[in-house]
Amino acid sequence: MLLDINDVHFGYQNEVELLQGFSLHVEQGEFVALLGPSGCGKSTLMNLAAGLLNPLRGGVNFGGHPLHGLNRDVGYMTQGDTLLPWATVAKNITLPLELRGVPKAQREEKLDKAVRLVNLAEHRNKYPSELSGGMKRRALLARSIIYDPPMLLMDEPFGALDAQLREVMHQELLNTVARTGQSVLFITHDISEAILLADRIIVLGGLPLRVLEETEVPFGKDRKLSEVRTTKTYADMEVHLRELLRKADALTKSKQH
Amino acid sequence: MTAPVRPASQAQLSARRRRKAPVRISPARRAVENLVIQIILIGAFLVLWEYASDRWVPKLMVSKPSDIGAQIWKWTLDGTFVRNLWVTVQATALGFLLGAAAGMVLGFLTGAWRRVGEILQPIVTAFYTLPRLALAPLFLLWFGLGMEFRVMFSATIVFFLVYYNTYFGVREVSQELIAAVRIMGANPLQVALRVIVPSALVWVAAGLKISVPYALVGVVVAEMLASDEGMGFLLSRGASQFSAAQTFAAIFGLLVVALVVDWLITALTNRALRWKTAGSMQN
Repeated sequence: MLLDINDVHFGYQNEVELLQGFSLHVEQGEFVALLGPSGCGKSTLMNLAAGLLNPLRGGVNFGGHPLHGLNRDVGYMTQGDTLLPWATVAKNITLPLELRGVPKAQREEKLDKAVRLVNLAEHRNKYPSELSGGMKRRALLARSIIYDPPMLLMDEPFGALDAQLREVMHQELLNTVARTGQSVLFITHDISEAILLADRIIVLGGLPLRVLEETEVPFGKDRKLSEVRTTKTYADMEVHLRELLRKADALTKSKQH
Repeated sequence: MTAPVRPASQAQLSARRRRKAPVRISPARRAVENLVIQIILIGAFLVLWEYASDRWVPKLMVSKPSDIGAQIWKWTLDGTFVRNLWVTVQATALGFLLGAAAGMVLGFLTGAWRRVGEILQPIVTAFYTLPRLALAPLFLLWFGLGMEFRVMFSATIVFFLVYYNTYFGVREVSQELIAAVRIMGANPLQVALRVIVPSALVWVAAGLKISVPYALVGVVVAEMLASDEGMGFLLSRGASQFSAAQTFAAIFGLLVVALVVDWLITALTNRALRWKTAGSMQN
């Protein structure tokens, strides 16, 4: 078991406690999507896994050890543009290695591999302001995988992209993690994104937050997204999850007011 | 003027660069034409001034360009200009450096550490609302008539401008970015040096840029209040001796200094922030 959030309690000031004994487990190499309405508390779960937030009670285990403080064995990618605008793509991607004190020769070697993996090889000396939205996403992806963390935490990483670019990035993300064998905890409110990417979908809703349903996605690791989209299984799952998400949304909203 | 000076945003910068003038005449020709028109305008004004003096307006009040020119020439030859300019420029530079350094340090501390900010920010704001001129008698008491008085007076003006811009610049840094860099492996010092300081630099640079003229204003005001040297002293001495020519000559000297300083600062800040315009220059 790679990530083990066990019977965790957590809440924000002056609010109903959001998590009251919530548990979540992610296996080595598993791609788990957390699907739920906006504002239901998905990002809180991710920040607990990243160690940016600490549970009031209960524990978070990562790689078999209890987590104290920040979790530096994860890659962290959010919707925002968190590239450093004054540094080139190459400098940005190798930043985690530099901060971890990896020698320069080794950094160069890893950079070569990473930029090829995300198709940014010829843009490595550009500044972020010279990149398109899709290229920025690729750079962020490369930066979050370059230090080989066993798990990627992704909070709607492609939320700001247009539909076409998002499809491209979906396939690239799948190819990348298929090659690296990393686990992914992927937060989204987009149903098709969850079906296309995940091995397991966890539908969340309500206050306190609870699991409404857990679904295994049967397409396997080396799926071709253009083919997946045309299958009947995909269409059925989408209808089912849509209904479920509507329920989750109503549940979350009724408790918030 | 509690609001900090906002640096020009990326969008504004690129919009300004992209909009080009339609081709009718070459830009070089246009620049020459503009310059000629400017010279004619200023020349016409000077001629009018020369003619009007002692005819329409008493010469005692406005002097006249030929007298002012003679005064400038005299001061240039006998070293009055160089000596007093140097005193003023020195005080301006020191006041600027002192005020800016203090403003940047305190702005960074109060911006980066929430608790420090909660405690100190209201105190700084209370002092900011105080008219700076009210401090002059106290400063005179403390520092006397010398250079220290002028430097400190100018530094207090610069301090607040730089402080607010640094404070808001640091507060503007995205928490998402800080979280990402921390997870990547940065310790608090690295977060400060690699993320917060460079992110806030655009704001700090804007604050520095506008505070240079204010540093000069501070020094000149202090020199006018109490001093026996400097451009402000020349200015007030000229006026108190009813010599409009001397007063205008001193103003002319200040104008030249202000232009040179502004040009220098623009060149410096443009260099430091080149990354910000890298994308828009390509378009």
